[in-house]
Amino acid sequence: MAIEKNYYTIDPEGKLHCVKCGVPLIKGKAKFMYLDNGFPVELPVCPVCGFVYVPEELALGKVASVERALEDK
Amino acid sequence: MSQIQERGSTHVYKVNKISKEEMDSMVARCVYEQPPFCSAACPLKLDTRAMLKAAAEGDFKKALQLYEKIAPFPLILSAGCEAPCEAKCRLGEVGESVAIRAVERAVARFGEQSRLGGIFRSKKRKTAAILGADLFTLLLAGELEKKAYPVTVFCEQEGYEDYLRACAPFLDEESFALELKRLREKDIQLECNCRLDEAFYADKQSAFDLLCASDAVRAKLFPEAEPVAELMFCEQERLVSGKTEGVLGAAFGAKKAALTVDRLAQNLDPRNTRGSEGAVESRLYTALGEAKALRRVPLPEGGYDAEGAAAEAGRCIQCHCEECLKSCAYLKHYKKHPGLLAKEIYNNTQIIMGDHPLNKPMNACSLCGQCTVVCPNDFDMAQVCAAARRNMVSTDKMPLAPHEFALMDMLFSNGEAFLCRSQPGYTQCKYLFFPGCQAAAIAPETVKAAYLDLCERLEGGVALLLGCCGAIGDWAGREELSGQTRELIDRELAKLGDPLVIAGCPTCKKELQGHEGLRLTGIWDVLRQIGLPEGAKGLDRPMALHDACGARGNAETQQAIRDLAQSLGCTLVETEDSGDRSPCCGYGGLTAYASREVAGEMTEKCLERSEAPYLSYCMACRDRFARQGRESRHILELCYGTDAGSPPDISEKRRNRLRLKNELLQDIWQEEAMEKKLDYSLAFTDEARRMMDERMILIEDVIAVLEDFRVSGEAIEDEDGLLVARRRVGNATFWVKFSRAGEGYLVQRAWSHRMHVVKREG
Repeated sequence: MAIEKNYYTIDPEGKLHCVKCGVPLIKGKAKFMYLDNGFPVELPVCPVCGFVYVPEELALGKVASVERALEDK
Repeated sequence: MSQIQERGSTHVYKVNKISKEEMDSMVARCVYEQPPFCSAACPLKLDTRAMLKAAAEGDFKKALQLYEKIAPFPLILSAGCEAPCEAKCRLGEVGESVAIRAVERAVARFGEQSRLGGIFRSKKRKTAAILGADLFTLLLAGELEKKAYPVTVFCEQEGYEDYLRACAPFLDEESFALELKRLREKDIQLECNCRLDEAFYADKQSAFDLLCASDAVRAKLFPEAEPVAELMFCEQERLVSGKTEGVLGAAFGAKKAALTVDRLAQNLDPRNTRGSEGAVESRLYTALGEAKALRRVPLPEGGYDAEGAAAEAGRCIQCHCEECLKSCAYLKHYKKHPGLLAKEIYNNTQIIMGDHPLNKPMNACSLCGQCTVVCPNDFDMAQVCAAARRNMVSTDKMPLAPHEFALMDMLFSNGEAFLCRSQPGYTQCKYLFFPGCQAAAIAPETVKAAYLDLCERLEGGVALLLGCCGAIGDWAGREELSGQTRELIDRELAKLGDPLVIAGCPTCKKELQGHEGLRLTGIWDVLRQIGLPEGAKGLDRPMALHDACGARGNAETQQAIRDLAQSLGCTLVETEDSGDRSPCCGYGGLTAYASREVAGEMTEKCLERSEAPYLSYCMACRDRFARQGRESRHILELCYGTDAGSPPDISEKRRNRLRLKNELLQDIWQEEAMEKKLDYSLAFTDEARRMMDERMILIEDVIAVLEDFRVSGEAIEDEDGLLVARRRVGNATFWVKFSRAGEGYLVQRAWSHRMHVVKREG
């Protein structure tokens, strides 16, 4: 089986909890999509409701720079 | 409409072509790359400006390298050149031209000779024979040696000295000795004591690939031949030769002949692909005001010494046209002259696939038109950038992100915050006050006071329109949006009986001029006519008047403002670059949204003109100056005795517009305002407000997130016990970090991203 590519991984290490479901967030599979481009990532995800968390550092760092690069395509 | 659709994909492989003619018509207006007048006059195309600069800096080695590019025997050329460069030197118009030839001579004497002509240089395979001894053939030998042809000169003279004397009899002893040394060092074979007759020629014809001859030898061998002067070539005889006059003529002839040799060596027609040859006209603009040393450094009999030559070369004013770069912070930021920047921006629109590296510069121009005023050739960067933006919007290649906030602001102004009403008691009005979206956002009290004053003092009814004029849509290149605004305004004006529009903002006035049949004036004209309201008063200290770019080219408006300022008792400080030359504050063209850095530099550029408080007549200028920490007033604040105070943040700007609308609806039209009230408390830390303003996150966006959280309960709790909720609003996902505070929330942080994020199965 081919190894799946991940552009970014964050492991919540049990520090984040889903308020609605009352369970810890786990490292889960997620996908960023922008202007018809997709990027598989691993982010803190609620195993019950599927809430995907994008931390501030990620949003203002990597995500913002990829957004800018794609916007100029 | 309350949303703007993000473009669907980056995979758009089409462009709207811009014709080369269209591009050239604008790009060619920039004269930055035009040669200086001295170089243009030189048929050999010497980079005179660079040579003089090097000489002025005492770098004679570099100066000589530049001179040797056009002169294989520099002392010969500088001894006899007719120096058309000096006749065209712009300094000659205000004083004495630079003594270029004398500097060249010093450069040739004191500069270290380049070592390019070593015998180990790889040679071309085609060989050249040059028959005869005159200046043309000597210089041709030098040119061909420079081009790495194996060159053999055949002459009737007895040796190097005889040969050089025959070629350049005018040289003084010192120059003769130096050039003789140079000739010996060059990789040129000299065959002396030759009888240059027909048999000799026939012999060399079979031994060499390329044959060249002095005009005297040519006349002896082929008396009937007619050399083509532009090519220095006898076509029938395949002989490179021709008649020349004077030292410069011989040098130019040798240049042309060397190019002919090049073409022949490649078996190509010598007529084709020769490029530009000879002297040209230059369109360069030179500001002669900067010329200081108008008299030549006295020339001693034996020529300049190194010091004298450097001093004389230093008189060169290094003709460059940088008029726009001196005034425009945008061009200065990108460190490019507008011709080049325009070409790159045009090319950016024509990229079918891949990155568009000029998107940011294209969107960072304030479209203010200052460059057109300061440019001696009316270069119009605004036209270039605006056309490029429209072009990219039309092909769906324009990113929405840089302009989305401003465009949403425009939709808000013409949606939720829009108001158009006739004066109570009138169904149709003689006038309509159009204060502009920025005035309502920044100084709502002033707008209210102005409207009440106009209602009281003008007869025939004064309607009010709170909204955006459409400039934002135009600036963003979104013609559809500005078209919708135009229709909205025209519809409202028609309902009111097409009143005379009193614009409160020069940019709105300019924008509204595009409406067919719309009658227009400025509030400054009205106030000048009806007089100032009671209590109007200027500051008790001198103010620097900043002309708005919306009033560029409108002397009447600029004068009306000055008249008003005088009536207010203001003492105005004269600033550099005022009137039509005034720089943009950084708001125009949506610069502040596309590049904060460039916008900041524009504001700095405006403020560096004076230390005094600034007086402006565009609310955006007032706001940007105040944000930069300068005391700043709009002229209407002085007219109506109001003070808008410290600049509002992005959320307050929206709230001010809504509050103004609701207050006016209640106070003037006795209509109940539909103000939304939250049923919970909402507070922000200072840090949260600061970052929201910086990150362009509105209080409304935060409320949207919290409303969603209150319904869905979806949030995460971090290790500090803070909650984080999110919601997709339009084209962005907003995240809010908060704590519960009694019956409400205290917002600690907020951020956003445009990417969608979803859970992936598997």
